[in-house]
Amino acid sequence: MAGRMAQLSLFAVALIIGLLLVGQLRSQAPTIELSSLSAQELSTLIETLSTSNVELGDGLADLREQIREYESEEARGLSTLDLIREDLERFSAFAGLAPVTGQGITLQLEGSFEPANVNDLIYELRNAGAEAIAVDDVRITAGSVAVRGTSAIEIDGVEIDRFFEIRAIGSPAGLQSALERPGGILRQLEQAAGATVRIIAETDIAVPATERDLTPQAAQPVE
Amino acid sequence: MSRRLPARRRFKRSSWAISIAAALAVIGFIGAAQWNSSLARQVFVTSAQRILVSEAEQAQRLQESLRAQIEEAEARVRSFQERDEGSRSAQERLNQQVAAARLAAGLTTVSGPGVVVEIADSLNPPEDGQLSNYIVLVDDVRDLVTALWASGAEAISIAGGGPGAPAERLVATTSIYGVGASILVNTAFLSPPFRIEAIGPDGLYDRFLGHPSFLTRVAKRIDAYGLQFAHEERAEVVVPGFIGNTRLRYGAPLSEEE
Repeated sequence: MAGRMAQLSLFAVALIIGLLLVGQLRSQAPTIELSSLSAQELSTLIETLSTSNVELGDGLADLREQIREYESEEARGLSTLDLIREDLERFSAFAGLAPVTGQGITLQLEGSFEPANVNDLIYELRNAGAEAIAVDDVRITAGSVAVRGTSAIEIDGVEIDRFFEIRAIGSPAGLQSALERPGGILRQLEQAAGATVRIIAETDIAVPATERDLTPQAAQPVE
Repeated sequence: MSRRLPARRRFKRSSWAISIAAALAVIGFIGAAQWNSSLARQVFVTSAQRILVSEAEQAQRLQESLRAQIEEAEARVRSFQERDEGSRSAQERLNQQVAAARLAAGLTTVSGPGVVVEIADSLNPPEDGQLSNYIVLVDDVRDLVTALWASGAEAISIAGGGPGAPAERLVATTSIYGVGASILVNTAFLSPPFRIEAIGPDGLYDRFLGHPSFLTRVAKRIDAYGLQFAHEERAEVVVPGFIGNTRLRYGAPLSEEE
C-alpha cells in the first residue's frame, strides 16, 4: 500500500515537472519575438507584410484563373500547350533567363562604392518590389552578387565602373520612394561612398536576360 | 516500543525523501523561472505595441495561408500540365523546358553536397554598452550569403528560430531586410539563430571560409563580440523550393524575336 502511494506521488511529481518544463521551454524557445520590436519597427513590418500579402493575393488570383482556363480547355477537349508556354515564359522571366520589359526606374550612380554598397542597393530595390534588375548589362539573378575583383567591383565576372547604371522593373513611385526615404539607402550611400545618384522614372525600360548558365550541377531536383 | 528499521530499509526511505526533495526543488526553480519570464513579457509590452503586434501576427497568419494556397494551386497547375492530351512530343518537350526553368528559378526543392552555417547573438555581456555589436545584424547574414554565392553556391536557404523552422529559398527577387533584431527574408520574418544551408560543387566550404565577403566584416564581428557561429560541410543538404509570387505586375517577358 505504502509502495503504491509512493509510486503515485512520484508520478504526480514527475507530471508536474514535465508540464512546467514544457511551459518553460516553450516560453524561452527562440520564437519570433514581435514584442521585442519597437512601434516603428512593427509599423515597418506590418507595411511590408501587407504589401507582400497584396502581391501574394494577386498571384493566387492569377493562379486560380489559370486553373479555370486549364479546366475549361480540358472540358472542351483542347490542348493546353499554350497555357504551358505562358508558364514557361513566366518562370524564365522570374529566373532571369528571359529579358523583361515594363515600367520602372533607372538609377545613374557615381561614387567610390564597396561591393557591399551595391549589394545593399540591390536588396533595397528587391524589398521595394523590383521584379527584374540589371546593373549595367548584367541581369541580377538569385546568385548575382557584387564582389571585389582584381581591379574593380565585379558582378557575375563583369567589372562595374565608378559610374554605372541600374535598371529596375517595378512600380516607379514605389521604388523611388523606398530609395529616397529619410535615412534610407541613398543617404547611406552618400555618406559611405560619396555617391551621387540620379533617379529617372521610366514607363518602358528593358532588362536583358542573364548570360550565366543557371543549370545547377551539384544541386539535383528532389522528386 | 519503537522498532528500529533495518539499515538497508532506512537508507531506502531516506533516498526516497532526497528524490522527492530534489524534485520539489526543481519544481520550485522552474515555477519561479516561469513566473519571472511571464512577468517580464507583460511589463515591456505597451498597449499600443500590443495592438501592432496583434496586427503583425494577423498579417503573418494571412501570409502563411496565402503561401499554402499558392503552393496548392501551383501543384494543381503542374498536374494539368502533366496530363495534357495534346501533342505528346510537343508536350514532353515543353514540360522539360518548364521543369528546367523552374529549377533555374529556384522553385524546385533540390539536394546535394553543401554547407550548413549557423549564426546567433553573442552570449557575452556587452562590454562597451553597444548592444547592437552583440546581436546578429542583417549585414552579417547578407555577407554570409554573398560569400556563399560568390564561392559557387547553386542553391541557398535561410531559416530562423531554431531547429525545424521552415526555410526560405533565395531567388532572384529575394530581399534580406533588417527589422530591429530580426530579418525579413522574402516575406518571412525570421529571428535568430539563423541557419543558412547551401548546395554547391566541391570546394564550396573552403572557398566560403576564405572569401573576402566573409572575412572582411562578419568574421571580425564573430571574433570581436563572440557572435555564436558554427559551420559544417555536409554530404547532403536539402534546400526547399521557393513558395510565393512569380508573376510580373509591372513587367512582361520579352520574347527573343521582339
